[in-house]
Amino acid sequence: MPHASENTLTRLYENMVTARYYEERLQEEYLEGKQPAFDISAGPIPGELHLAAGHEAAGAGVCDHLRDDDIVTATHRPHHIAIAKGVDLKRMTAEIFGRETGLGKGKGGHMHLFDPDVNFACSGIIAEGCPPAVGGALAAQKRNTDSVAVSYLGEGAIDQGAFLESLNFASVFDLPVVFVIEDNDWAISMPKERVTDVENGAKRADGFEMPGVRVDSDDVLDVYDAAGEAIGRARDRNGPTVIEVQVHRRMGHFMGDPETYRPEADQEAAAERDSIVRLESDLREAGVEDDRIDEIRDDAHSRVDEAIEWAKDQPLPEPGAAHEDLFVSPASGVTDSEPDFEAVGGEE
Amino acid sequence: MTEHNERVAVQLDEWPDDVESDEGVVVNWFVSEGATITESESLCEVQIEKVSLDVYAPASGTLTEIRCGEDDEFERGETLAWVTPTPSED
Amino acid sequence: MSGAESTRELTMSRAMVSAIAHEMRENDDVFYMGEDVADYGGIFDSTQGLREEFGYDRIMDVPISETAYIGAAVGAAQAGMRPIAELMFVDFFGVAMDQIYNQMAKNTYMSGGNVSVPMVLTAAVGGTYNDAAQHSQTLYGTFAHIPGLKIVVPSTAYEAKGLMHNAIRDDDPVLYMFHKRLMGIGWMPAPDGPKTPVPETDYTIPFGRADVKRDGEDVTIVTLGLHVHRALEAAETLASDGISAEVIDLRSLVPLDTETIVESVEKTGNLVVVDEDYRSYGVTGEVTARVAEEALDALERVERVAVPDVPIPYSRPLEKEVIPGTEDIVNAATRTQ
Repeated sequence: MPHASENTLTRLYENMVTARYYEERLQEEYLEGKQPAFDISAGPIPGELHLAAGHEAAGAGVCDHLRDDDIVTATHRPHHIAIAKGVDLKRMTAEIFGRETGLGKGKGGHMHLFDPDVNFACSGIIAEGCPPAVGGALAAQKRNTDSVAVSYLGEGAIDQGAFLESLNFASVFDLPVVFVIEDNDWAISMPKERVTDVENGAKRADGFEMPGVRVDSDDVLDVYDAAGEAIGRARDRNGPTVIEVQVHRRMGHFMGDPETYRPEADQEAAAERDSIVRLESDLREAGVEDDRIDEIRDDAHSRVDEAIEWAKDQPLPEPGAAHEDLFVSPASGVTDSEPDFEAVGGEE
Repeated sequence: MTEHNERVAVQLDEWPDDVESDEGVVVNWFVSEGATITESESLCEVQIEKVSLDVYAPASGTLTEIRCGEDDEFERGETLAWVTPTPSED
Repeated sequence: MSGAESTRELTMSRAMVSAIAHEMRENDDVFYMGEDVADYGGIFDSTQGLREEFGYDRIMDVPISETAYIGAAVGAAQAGMRPIAELMFVDFFGVAMDQIYNQMAKNTYMSGGNVSVPMVLTAAVGGTYNDAAQHSQTLYGTFAHIPGLKIVVPSTAYEAKGLMHNAIRDDDPVLYMFHKRLMGIGWMPAPDGPKTPVPETDYTIPFGRADVKRDGEDVTIVTLGLHVHRALEAAETLASDGISAEVIDLRSLVPLDTETIVESVEKTGNLVVVDEDYRSYGVTGEVTARVAEEALDALERVERVAVPDVPIPYSRPLEKEVIPGTEDIVNAATRTQ
């Protein structure tokens, strides 16, 4: 492997199997009580659930280059990215289960995870994470730090104004931001060919005078290399980049998506292109013993199981907590009294 | 009460391929017991996992009995209701 | 129900779809644009089966570009067609608000009535299934605030069909807000009530005509959408406590049927307004103000039951705390006595 050390390979692998197993376990938990018919209000996990099995390479390959002070905004399908960015797994899981000790005290939910310790945030609205990432990059530039921002979006989001405006803004001010498009071919039921004429999302960069790179190999190391270059450019203050990574939607748009609109062949093809399997063979080629691979995987699984068990043990929030946290300052602002007009230098 | 051998069973024609479950739930009835119905009109909607399907009238006549009401579970092949066909004119 | 009659009942989604299909058969200028409306049939079943009958040309899946396709609906309407555009969740209005607020709502007025915008914007609204702050709002007040949009909110299948026929035939822009919990979707079971008998023929329900869903003497409960059913349930409980509640379903926010509300308050003296939108600057305040303007003397007590001014939280106990429940309505009505 010319481009990554054995350490990097094992780190990526650990990250990706954690993310995959996390989604498998959440799927299991989420479907509890939803058989034989799917009632969205039944079972231990509230609300909708968008799982990212098949997207792992885009999370791990990019975020491996990031530090805690680098900013990431993710999408409505955020878990693998959060895991790769180092978001607290237990508190994230507690949030997904709607518990008091969750990242947002049960107020946010799985599409709205915020972990300021590692500068991670996500939004449930398509492409709306792009402008805040640009703003994070703007702050880094203004403060003259070398931190960068990464904005994730799906291929369906490349037709949104928020994305296109963000590209222009980032380009004209040379901001240290990388846009990572996760192309899983489907915007819910809409195949990408039917909603965009561009050959691939990376081409969107062309109109904004910035590099656009597409990775279509299911090889996390290719993602890792492309991201390394883009993030390096950003850190060196050489401007923004668009990277599109071909990923695969293995679990439907949301849990319980019947996917009746999706040809079976497409589902099968997606299932076969698995970057985790590919990375396993790379690990073996690099001389990593099977026992070691199993050990990494088992450790990752234990960590996930532990986080889920912990989360399920956490208390639900008190109903009254719903009224808190709207502001961090008092409603009156920094003061609750108004000075005498003359005392602040005014003259009658 | 009509003789059983005259009745026609209301059943889901085809179980969907892409579900694992052998059970479903009736989510909506569009007609009530005693209603006059026309062959092939949609009588109720069932849900298997997250797939929704309509169940159609097997014959014109009267919906004499609903065996699986709304929110009731049923198994593959189970009879959801009985229709007593209108006697033919000729 | 004594069952000899063939009383066909429809879910709200099927009633809505039957009106759209009818209008599309009658008028080639009607077409539908939205995300996942073709093969999927609408995430909340708003277009089930329409693509099969009308094809992709008239049931158009569009890119995730709300500004473009809602604005395109405005333009196509001004060019004489009758487009229906769908916002998958009303919460997504933010990415396209200019087209709604500054074009769809204002072009008729700014043209001195020389331009008309005969389009329908449909939008799924509401919570109760833990979809959290960005996917659970109703935003009734946000849209009703801007002049230039007619706004309807059906609460039953019968109304969903009649209001949709009127919305498509009307020469002005109509925002048609359907509550997800009322649609009768298999995976989101509806309460009892929205599934009703629906005539097979086409019929129109006028905008600005509230419906008294239950007669009463002691207190007037004014509401809309999902909360019509919660108010009716509350009225049952209140009746067993000896309180006779009248329940008014607004059915449209613009125009607002002040007359029916005032008449009722003149009879009962007490007003409870129930809304699934935020409390401040919204439907509860507006209805109360209208009654105060028209019949201050008749008004003895007022109660507002609405979402306290916080975003809709995710966790079940938190969401339940902020979205008005039947018990909240019972308590408010009881306090007026």
